[in-house]
Amino acid sequence: MPDIPARPAPDEEWDDLLRQLRAQPLAQPRPYFYQRVHARLATRAPAAALALPGWLRRPAYAVLLGGVVLVLSGDGATLRPALQGPKNAGPPRLLPR
Amino acid sequence: MAWASAQRTPYRIFTVAHPVPLLEAPSPPSTARASAPVADAELVAQLQQGSEAAFRALVARYQGRVYRTALALLRSPEEAEDVAQEVFVEVYQTIGRFRGEASLSTWLYRLATSGALKSRRRARTKKRLAYFTSLLGFNNAVLHHPPDHAHPLALLEGQQQLQLLLDRVARLPDSQQVAFTLRHEQELSYAEIAAVLGTSVPAVESLLFRARQTLRHYL
Repeated sequence: MPDIPARPAPDEEWDDLLRQLRAQPLAQPRPYFYQRVHARLATRAPAAALALPGWLRRPAYAVLLGGVVLVLSGDGATLRPALQGPKNAGPPRLLPR
Repeated sequence: MAWASAQRTPYRIFTVAHPVPLLEAPSPPSTARASAPVADAELVAQLQQGSEAAFRALVARYQGRVYRTALALLRSPEEAEDVAQEVFVEVYQTIGRFRGEASLSTWLYRLATSGALKSRRRARTKKRLAYFTSLLGFNNAVLHHPPDHAHPLALLEGQQQLQLLLDRVARLPDSQQVAFTLRHEQELSYAEIAAVLGTSVPAVESLLFRARQTLRHYL
């Protein structure tokens, strides 16, 4: 059985529907709206004052970041003497008694 | 330093990153403000200089329009209130950068519509996630359904058609829905809608034409 196409609303019905839409009672926010906006602004202030991304405020991440920066910024000079130490070292000398 | 002083005195609450220095605790409206309505441009200038009375006046002037725009898109008073509050918080925090390229009302409508659409997308994502979580059996939480707030008029006899229209409007694509709502509920002109959507008047005409065509097909 073929689908019967939906009957388009006549112009008058459509206009009447739009009139009903416009004639809705004007909704308003609940009383003391300004006080609630003010309270929300007040709670936002501490977060704005910190101005740091959330992940950076976690100590573990901050320490990890510091470690990564230290590792990447160095040229490994501090490790080189330790690595080269055994090559340059001569025969072990006996300690005097 | 300002933060430290704000912590010491609980009613001198905070500083923000724009020229407005301090926002005092809500106080009764002054008599000077009630004498004559201030033009939007002047209101913005006063707010940029840190006037709390100007912010209060701005909220009082636009809270209804912002709230109704959000409500028309979300159909939930609680979510609309949340979006409306966010709009004014954003206005307060970014008024220093407002240069007046668009009118104040256009800017507010833009914030309200984008905020409402964002809120709706978040709710849909949450619902989808809850659905998949429930399918996988991770928890026994009840699926979140957006509240079905029947329009008060639609509850009356003979108003089912209006409710049907509102339901169909909610299913339109975002841009068509915003254009239709601003035109037929907020009664904005085509030029104003174009300014809110950041598009041209012919584009708005096209959006409205397609929206009406879709709606009339189903009604």
